[in-house]
Amino acid sequence: MTDPALDAIAALLARAGHADAVVTGVAALSGGAASATYAVTVQRHGAPWPLILQRAAAGSVTPGSLPKADQAALQRLAGRNGIPVARVVAVLSPGDQLGEGFVMEAVAGEALAPKWLRGEGFAAARAAMTRQCAAVLAQLHAIPIGDVADLALPTGRTDESLARMTAHYRSFGVNSPVFDLAFAWLAERCGAAAPHAIVHGDFRSGNFIVDQNGLAAVLDWELAHLGEGAEDLGWLCVNAWRFGVWQKPVGGFGERDALYDGYAAAGGRVDRARAHVWEVWGTLRWGLSCLQLGNDHVSGRVRSVERAAIGRRVSEVELDLLHLIRYGDI
Amino acid sequence: MSEQIEATALLDAVAAFLKSIEPELSGRNAFHAKVAGNALAIVRREIEARPRDVERDALARFLGHDAGLDALRAEMCGRLRAGQLTPETPGVLAALIDATLAKVAVDNPRYATYVRMQGPR
Repeated sequence: MTDPALDAIAALLARAGHADAVVTGVAALSGGAASATYAVTVQRHGAPWPLILQRAAAGSVTPGSLPKADQAALQRLAGRNGIPVARVVAVLSPGDQLGEGFVMEAVAGEALAPKWLRGEGFAAARAAMTRQCAAVLAQLHAIPIGDVADLALPTGRTDESLARMTAHYRSFGVNSPVFDLAFAWLAERCGAAAPHAIVHGDFRSGNFIVDQNGLAAVLDWELAHLGEGAEDLGWLCVNAWRFGVWQKPVGGFGERDALYDGYAAAGGRVDRARAHVWEVWGTLRWGLSCLQLGNDHVSGRVRSVERAAIGRRVSEVELDLLHLIRYGDI
Repeated sequence: MSEQIEATALLDAVAAFLKSIEPELSGRNAFHAKVAGNALAIVRREIEARPRDVERDALARFLGHDAGLDALRAEMCGRLRAGQLTPETPGVLAALIDATLAKVAVDNPRYATYVRMQGPR
């Protein structure tokens, strides 16, 4: 897709009630596989009004994933429930000629996890993060799923999700005895629970904006779905998201006990064994992402030395899985 | 040394070349040059440590017969998928830990979990 046109963004903002906004620039920020994100430079009432445009990279989202308009609606709902999120300003419609997506306000703070996980200026933020993340997840998981009945959130029982993930693994034609061991371990334990909560689906250190006071915004709601709240607790602890600070199992900044205590104090129900199951699940999920990125190179879809090298990170994930299964933690 | 230029000597030459042009690169190319240098280091360690042999030995010992690594891996996966092996089967975790430690020693010997699992637990 070509970069979004300034006048198209200005027209969109006018339609959303901001006719006084002057759009002066747009710059691509990151190119994820599914979404493209742009920083939009805007002046309003003579002051800067920094905005973010996020839209589906391929023009529209792939079938079965969360439509961008529904992602925006969920983000708004999360905000109404006290969760720190970027305020949604406008949702794209086909007439805007901008694809599928939405515009939100930029949130001030640090988005690069290695910076706030290690920077001296963020010590107070790190000390607050575990309790804040626990409270946010408890708030999210307490929202009745009836409140999102109108949104096309992916859903399914846990055994169905595991079957989908297994099929994804098999589609690569790779034989990893450790991955098959982990699938067998999960099949014994995952059960067939019906979805009962809104799950963020990608709640990890790389998807936060952090300022001096801690968690300023939870980003990237595009993988949200209906499921089991413990999935978010487990994913937050996956070793890959500790960015090398492996001694702090909660995202590279906190302890599991503090996460669970904070979650319970905010009204969540903690099942430690369940959170462990979801941490193993999340670790395997990251392993499949490594396989996918390596496959991008091998298959010729995206030839890249970076993707080829990430394919070799599969063995790190295998070792993490063995450690989790053998010793019960990592 | 039976050859003047062995494979490892070629790898070292390419790695040194990449390093020498690093100051001329910026942005994405500089990053990819760094990744490429790391990839060459993986290949060098793989030539020296032969992790596939270690993995084949570990799986052959566990399964009780020898074969090529790809066949042994396929057999392990097939038995795990069929439920003939489970994570509780005696020896299965030990065999996979031996095999995987050999792989990570080549892919990323500084990986924290690898370093931890080298010592006593």
